[in-house]
Amino acid sequence: MQVFCEILSYLLPLFYFGLIYVYYQIFTGKNRKFERWTKTLLLSLLIIHGLEIILRQIYLKTMPLSSTYDAISFLAFSILLVYYIIERSFNNKASGFFILLFAFFPALIAAFNHHWQAEKNPLLATPTFAIHASLNIIGYTALTIGAIYAVMFLIQYKNMKQRRFNRFYEKLPPVIYLENMSKRSVLIGIILMGVGILLGHVQTKQMFGHFFISDPKVIFTDLIWVLYVAVYVGAKVKRWSSRTMAYLNVVGFILLSAGGAIVFLMTKSFHKFY
Amino acid sequence: MNTHIPLTLIGISHKTAPVEIREKIALSKEEQVTVHKRLLDAFHLKGILTLSTCNRTELYLSGDLSENELQHIREWLNDFKQTSYFTQEQHTYVFQGKEAVRHFFDVAAGLDSQVIGEPQITNQVKEAYHLAHQGQVTDALLNKLFSYGLQAQKHVRSETFLSDGAVSVSFAGVELAKKIFTSLADKTVLLIGAGETAELAALHFLDKGVGRILIANRTFSKASELANRFKGEAYELDELKRILTETDIVISATSATEYVLTREMVEPQLKHRPYDPLFLIDLAIPRDLDPELNELDNVYLYNLDDLNEVVQLNLERRKQEIPRADKIIQEHVREFVNWLSTHASSQIIHRLKRYFDDLRKAELKRLNSRLPEEGMEQIEYLTESLVNKILHQHIQLLKKNIRNPELYEQYLEFLHELYEIDK
Repeated sequence: MQVFCEILSYLLPLFYFGLIYVYYQIFTGKNRKFERWTKTLLLSLLIIHGLEIILRQIYLKTMPLSSTYDAISFLAFSILLVYYIIERSFNNKASGFFILLFAFFPALIAAFNHHWQAEKNPLLATPTFAIHASLNIIGYTALTIGAIYAVMFLIQYKNMKQRRFNRFYEKLPPVIYLENMSKRSVLIGIILMGVGILLGHVQTKQMFGHFFISDPKVIFTDLIWVLYVAVYVGAKVKRWSSRTMAYLNVVGFILLSAGGAIVFLMTKSFHKFY
Repeated sequence: MNTHIPLTLIGISHKTAPVEIREKIALSKEEQVTVHKRLLDAFHLKGILTLSTCNRTELYLSGDLSENELQHIREWLNDFKQTSYFTQEQHTYVFQGKEAVRHFFDVAAGLDSQVIGEPQITNQVKEAYHLAHQGQVTDALLNKLFSYGLQAQKHVRSETFLSDGAVSVSFAGVELAKKIFTSLADKTVLLIGAGETAELAALHFLDKGVGRILIANRTFSKASELANRFKGEAYELDELKRILTETDIVISATSATEYVLTREMVEPQLKHRPYDPLFLIDLAIPRDLDPELNELDNVYLYNLDDLNEVVQLNLERRKQEIPRADKIIQEHVREFVNWLSTHASSQIIHRLKRYFDDLRKAELKRLNSRLPEEGMEQIEYLTESLVNKILHQHIQLLKKNIRNPELYEQYLEFLHELYEIDK
C-alpha cells in the first residue's frame, strides 16, 4: 500500500507538469486542439489527486491535513479545484497556465517530503483541526488566485493602455473580468481564512485554556488577515482605483507567502505548541 | 494513389479578374438554375454545382469531359452571359480532378478568400449546394465533395486561428471593447456625430447586442433621425458632460476642428463611476478626443491608427495560420480521394456481381428443363455459392491492388477485357 501511495505521490507533479504543458500550448496558441482536452484532463487530475490524498490518509490512519506536507499537497489540490470551477463557470482557459503553475510547486514539494508516518499529536486528530486547516488552506488558495488575477489584470491593463497588442493581450480575458475575479477571490479568501483562524483560536481555547497563544505562525496569520481586511474595507470606503487595489493585492500576497515561508522555516512545524 | 476523379472546375475569381469583370459574369439564382438545367442536358454531365458570390463565379462539373466538350461549355457560358471572359485564359482558371477538389476545400475554408478566413464564404457554399441539391442536379461525387469540404472547413476553424480577430477598422472597436468588458449587453454606447463612420461603428456594436445607444450631434435633427433608426436617444452636444456618467463606450466621429472631449471635461465625471471603465474610440481626423484622456485611470482611448494596427496584426496572424490550415485541407483531400477509390471499387464489385449472377441465372434457365425439379433448391444454392467463391477472389485481388495504381489499372483492364466490365 505504501509503495502504491508513494508512486502515486511521485507521479502527481508529473501529471501537473503535463497539464501545465497543455495550458502553455493553449496560451501560446500553438495548437487549438488542446482546448478540447482541458475539461477531461482537469477532472482526471482532480480525481487522481483526490484519490492520492484519501489513500494516504487511509494508509496512515490519520485525519486529513495532519502534517505540513499533507497541507501543502492539499493546497495544490485546492488550487486545481478552484481553477476547475473558474474555468467551467467562465469558459476562459487563458489563465490556466498561470494559476496551475502555483499548484505545481506545492505538489512537487509535497511529493518528495511526505514522512509516511502517522502524526501522534491528539490535537491533529480532532475534526475541528481538519476544518480549521482546510478552511485556512482554501482561504489561502483564494488569496493566491486573487493575486494571480491581480497580476494578470495589471498586465492586461498596461497592454490596453499602451496599445501593446501582444500574445498576452490576445490571450488574457477582459480587464473587467480579471478585476472582478481578483476582488471576489480576495473576499472569499478573507471570509474563509477568517473562519479558519477563529476555529483555530477556539481549538486552542479548548486544549490550552487560552483563546490566543503567542506562536509566530498564529501572530503572523492573524496580522496578515487583519491587514487584508483593513485594506479591503479601506478600498471600498475610499473608492481606490482598480489599479491601486490590484497592486495592494499583489503586495499582500507577497507578504503572506514570504512571511509564511520564513515562519515555516523557523519553526519547522505548524505551530510551536505541537 | 492515382484515383481518377471525374470533376472539372471552371472559375473566375478576385485573383484573376477585377470587379468590373466579376460583376458581368456573376450568376443570379435564377440564372444558376438555368445553367444547371441546360448544361446537364447538353453535355451529359452527372452533376453540377455553381458558386457565384461577389468575389467568384465557379462551376463544378461532375463527369468525364473531353477537351472539346470543355471548350464547348466555356463558349456556351460566354454566350449565356454575353461575354468572352470564360474563354480568356488570363481570367478563367480550369482545374481538374484532385486540383478541383483541393480548390473547393480551400474556398469553403476561406483560404481562397480576399480576406483570408472570412466566414461568409462557408454560408455561400452551403447556399450554392442547397440550390443545386434542391434542383436534383448533384450526384454522389458532388454530394460527397460538399460534405468533405464542410468537414475540412470545420476542422480548419476549430484547430487554427484562421478566422480569428477583426479585419476591419469598424469591427476592431468591438474587438477592443471585448477586451475591456465581459459583456456588451448591459453597456451604453454614446455616438458623437451622426455621420456614416460613426453609424457603421455603431452598427457593429448593435450587432453584438449592446444595451443602450445615445447619439449626440451638433445638428439635433440628424441625431434624432439616427436615434429613431437605432431605437436610441438623441442629445444636443452641450449635454455631453451629463450623459458621460451613463456611458461605457464613446465613439466619436465628427468634423470638429477642436477636441470634443477633453481631460477637464471627463475627469470630474469619472468620480461618479470609480470602478467602471470608459472606452473611447476616436474615428475622426482631426481627432475629436484629447489624447491626455488615456492618462486617466480606467479610461482607454484608441484612435484610427490604433484600430488600423489591430487590423494589420490580425491579418498577419491569419496569414501565419495558412500553413496549418493547408495541412488540414491536404488531409481532407486525401480522405476524399480514399472515399472515391473505395466507392469506385464497390461499383466494380457491384458490376462483377451482376455479371456473374446474370450468367448463373441464364445457365440455370437454359438447363431448367433437363434438371430434376426436386433438386432445384440445392442446385440454386450450389451455383450461388460458386459465384460467391469466384467473386471473393476478385474482391481480394481488387483490395490488394487498390494501393498500387499500376496494378490496379492493369487489373481493371483485365476485367474489362475478360468480362466487359467498365472501369
